[in-house]
Amino acid sequence: MILSLKNIFTEIGETALFAKKFFKEVFIPPYETKEFLKQCYIIGYKSLPLVAITGFIMGLVLTLQSRPTLVKFGAESWLPGMVALSLIREIAPVITALICAGKISSGIGAELGSMKVTEQIDAMEVSAVNPYNYLVVTRVLACTLMVPILVFFADAIGIIGGYVGINIHGDVNFYRFLTQIIQSLEFLDLFPATIKTFFFGFVIGMIGCYKGFTASNGTESVGQAANSAVVTASLSIFIIDMVAVQITDLFF
Amino acid sequence: MEKQSGYTWKLGMFVTIGLVLFVMAIYFIGKQKNLFGSTFHITSQFKTVSGLEVGNNVRFSGINVGTVEQIQLKNDSTVIVVLVMKEEVRKFIKTDATASIGSDGLMGDKVLTISPGAKSQKMIEDNGTIASVDGIEMHDIMKSVKKSVDNIGVISDEIAIFSHSMNNGNGALARLVKDDKMANSVSNTLENLESGTKGFSDNMEAAKSNFLLRGYYKKKEKQKEKKLEEQKEKQEEAKEKAAKEKEQKEKELKEQKEKEEKQKQEEAKKAEAAKK
Repeated sequence: MILSLKNIFTEIGETALFAKKFFKEVFIPPYETKEFLKQCYIIGYKSLPLVAITGFIMGLVLTLQSRPTLVKFGAESWLPGMVALSLIREIAPVITALICAGKISSGIGAELGSMKVTEQIDAMEVSAVNPYNYLVVTRVLACTLMVPILVFFADAIGIIGGYVGINIHGDVNFYRFLTQIIQSLEFLDLFPATIKTFFFGFVIGMIGCYKGFTASNGTESVGQAANSAVVTASLSIFIIDMVAVQITDLFF
Repeated sequence: MEKQSGYTWKLGMFVTIGLVLFVMAIYFIGKQKNLFGSTFHITSQFKTVSGLEVGNNVRFSGINVGTVEQIQLKNDSTVIVVLVMKEEVRKFIKTDATASIGSDGLMGDKVLTISPGAKSQKMIEDNGTIASVDGIEMHDIMKSVKKSVDNIGVISDEIAIFSHSMNNGNGALARLVKDDKMANSVSNTLENLESGTKGFSDNMEAAKSNFLLRGYYKKKEKQKEKKLEEQKEKQEEAKEKAAKEKEQKEKELKEQKEKEEKQKQEEAKKAEAAKK
């Protein structure tokens, strides 16, 4: 019991050291721009269809599900505002982050894990390429910057999904729908949610890389690295979300 | 290199559209809060703002024209409210406009309403002050409702006592309503009275033709005629007076109209000058 607790703390401590190394390496050249752009493309652009579909469905379903309750109170006109508010504040960031954790974190974990197992990382070190700089920094940075953009897409597409959901039961002009949404939005809804997503992105990339980088030798551990990367990243996203929401609640 | 450019433009497009969405969101929310575009400020003092908050809408003729920017306590019975409003509505808000606080529906947010004044033609200045009208508070309504409910209680008590005595008492009214015998006797009495008065009028006719009383009646008739003539004369005089007064009034009205037209013309000139 105590041993496993100690193991958990060791793991957390090592992740923290790994993250600390990232902040040191980000500012030290050489900058791997080409690799960074490639990772941005893989992480951002390639995840877009997945995020778009989930965003659309979340908007649609949220509208349909919350409609009966609001109709009961005769507050059907608040539906667009409510859907947009919950999408932008909470649902789009968290769902997008979870999807990314499933797609990106596991991908990075498996990729780096197999590189580690086949001793490619060691080979890089021998050939005087800093593997941390080339593999980890680029991926984590790409994740940190791409996840927020994916969330913007999810917001926009989710709102369109909400519009479709409203038009299933009623008939609302798109312009009127948008004005209703904008009327209910404030900067306080947009900014904390956006800042939150940077942390989500960072954690997704960082945990994937850490799990891959520390895979022990053997083919088996590649699968383990991918698996535990997804689990840990998803859990961390919820923990960060809780902390972020409490901080926002505290200050505003 | 070809391979790289193959994904670079896609990445660029992805990032650009994402950022454009974000900027658009910021712009529209900012526009909603009147952060962009030209605005002007108005202040107003209230005794109580009844839950008005920074960011609530300001309405003029039912249109959202701005938001509440600041709410400050000046002293223990005065609150200063600063409003930020769109510049294009400034020309419609005159110096004697009044601000009042109401609520948007039963459960909705508080709304600050600006009502136009009646007389002033002067446009309000930036950072100008307008008067306020204290809204009706819920507890005021409750007070008056309580008063009328109390009154109703007293009245209903009295009605209860009255109807009870009507049903169970032995007074004249109660018996009139309830008692058959009483009703019969009343109608008998009335019949008797009728026949009595008929007899009396016959007696009177007889008295008129009696020679002892004839002189007295003739005198009375003569006096009546005189009075009628006097009344007629008085009425004619009154008519003449009324006609004179009417003429005077018409004259005054004409003068007033002329004055108003002159004023209007002057205002139009002023407005044109201002436009220029």
